Amino acid sequence: MSNKLYRSLQAFVLLTIALFLAVKLMSGKLDLYINLRFAPLTVFAIIVLALMIYALVRRPKDKFHQDEHHDHQHEHIHSMSFSALVFLLIPILIGVLIPARPLDAAAASTRGVNVSAPIVSSASQTLSFESAADQRNVLDWIRIFKSGTDVTTYLGETANVIGFVYKDQRLAENQFLVSRFVITCCAADGFAIGIVVNWDQASTLDENTWVNVKGAVKSYQLEDQPVPLIEADSVEIVEEPPQPYLFP
Amino acid sequence: MEIHIHGRRLSRPLIWLILLVVLGAVLFSIVPLTVSLWLWQKLAIFATVFLGIFIEAVPFLLMGTLASGLVEVFLSQEWITRISPQRTLPAAVLGSLLGLVFPVCECGVIPLTRRLFRKGLPVSTGIAFLLAAPVINPIVIFSTAAAFGRGRMLAWRLGLTLIIAITIGIVFSAQRNASDILRQPLFEVELPVVNAQPKGEAFGEKLSRALIVSTDEFFEMGRYLIMGASLAAIMQTFIPQTSLLAVGSGPLLSVIAMMTLAVVLSICSTVDAFVALGFVGTFSFGSILSFLVFGPMVDIKSMLMYLQVFRRRPVFYLVLLPLLISLLAGITFNYLSP
Repeated sequence: MSNKLYRSLQAFVLLTIALFLAVKLMSGKLDLYINLRFAPLTVFAIIVLALMIYALVRRPKDKFHQDEHHDHQHEHIHSMSFSALVFLLIPILIGVLIPARPLDAAAASTRGVNVSAPIVSSASQTLSFESAADQRNVLDWIRIFKSGTDVTTYLGETANVIGFVYKDQRLAENQFLVSRFVITCCAADGFAIGIVVNWDQASTLDENTWVNVKGAVKSYQLEDQPVPLIEADSVEIVEEPPQPYLFP
Repeated sequence: MEIHIHGRRLSRPLIWLILLVVLGAVLFSIVPLTVSLWLWQKLAIFATVFLGIFIEAVPFLLMGTLASGLVEVFLSQEWITRISPQRTLPAAVLGSLLGLVFPVCECGVIPLTRRLFRKGLPVSTGIAFLLAAPVINPIVIFSTAAAFGRGRMLAWRLGLTLIIAITIGIVFSAQRNASDILRQPLFEVELPVVNAQPKGEAFGEKLSRALIVSTDEFFEMGRYLIMGASLAAIMQTFIPQTSLLAVGSGPLLSVIAMMTLAVVLSICSTVDAFVALGFVGTFSFGSILSFLVFGPMVDIKSMLMYLQVFRRRPVFYLVLLPLLISLLAGITFNYLSP
């Protein structure tokens, strides 16, 4: 492989990676993989990749060759390796060939679902308490019950949450978990949380179906921990929301 | 024109990879529908987790290789030799603090350390830098403070990292010459480098050369990032995390569980504090501390990169010593303040 060809192939691979990142960013699909808090880093990566591509293609035509105090007749690319080129295309291949799917009930089954998320104080915590009952999501409710405050004032409020159905072995026949994945920085650290739902037709629901659950909030004991429970008035099957994850 | 391809040895993994894909495709087509559906689900999880690690780590690897390229072009060997302390302790201390100047995390620090070794950095300085920089740098200090506040977690994370890095830096000073620990001897190190250095090179030309050097290094190291990310994603797809965390109670096992998790998750040190925050309440101070100290030094992808850069014996010590010290520290904290 000539140097020129190798440099062009490198530029091609980098361009593919940059385009892949840019497409994910523009199409709003990046948040399937990382917390958008870190999206500026992806922008940074695209810029660096663009600079590298620019440096690769505008290279002065190996003018170092004529350097007289050097006995090399050509630029010697030590690290030239065809497999490195192929390797860097693997993530792109995976991204293109395997349809992008958010972590779901299948993922939750290897990772387990937390009914009492170990989430401590953070800036957004207070919002969980201040927001109106029907605005709170699964994470907000769990935070309230985890915070150690007196939850009696919240009991009886009407919850209105969206999540996927997860059937947990710890639950009774007429119960299921309405669950969401929480992503702190990227999909690798994602963990599922869920609220127990009492609903007499629970057995008719398929796992991983997205549902909108409405009903009164109660307190419930699971594994010696006080956790929220929704006494469902209605369970409505809905489309998967455009943003399936929650970000703490 | 003569053509050099040094990477021929590496085309063997490529063949294995193709074989694996073909094997996977064949298996996929012959197994019963339910199994292939299950596999398909697992594959989707794998892809999401893998791309999560990859997309999050790429900017940091680029940052590291960019720093390495700039060092190659703009820092002279004479200057580095002149400012490096000759005595062991100051050398190691300097190394442990260098991350404040080069803000890189564990993906970026490895190529940068090798580059600095090539420029004549003393062994103990380089090793202390390698281990400390992923934590002792402005970005990580900031993110840890943001997650845990300016309290004892931040103080002990920084303190313990410094202690481990300086100690191991001193241990490595027994090696007088960096070429003793690098996989390829320094004088024929096959580093990405554009050979000739024309006199009176314009600034733009220098930058362009730095970028080319970074590019070559990005290709070299990216391979290990991708291998590491896929291993981590495979483990996460098939090994139930709940079982790991269920095992992890008690002063000893909790530390082991959190350290294993640090290795398996393979997340970047710049963001691991936010992840660790999720374990407060479930896990003790000591075990979370060991997660925050050990994870940046050793995880799946950095181990693969170590093996590319260093000989086996140094890698053994680079993994074992931080493991033992952070384990010991974690257990001590569990007993002192459960």
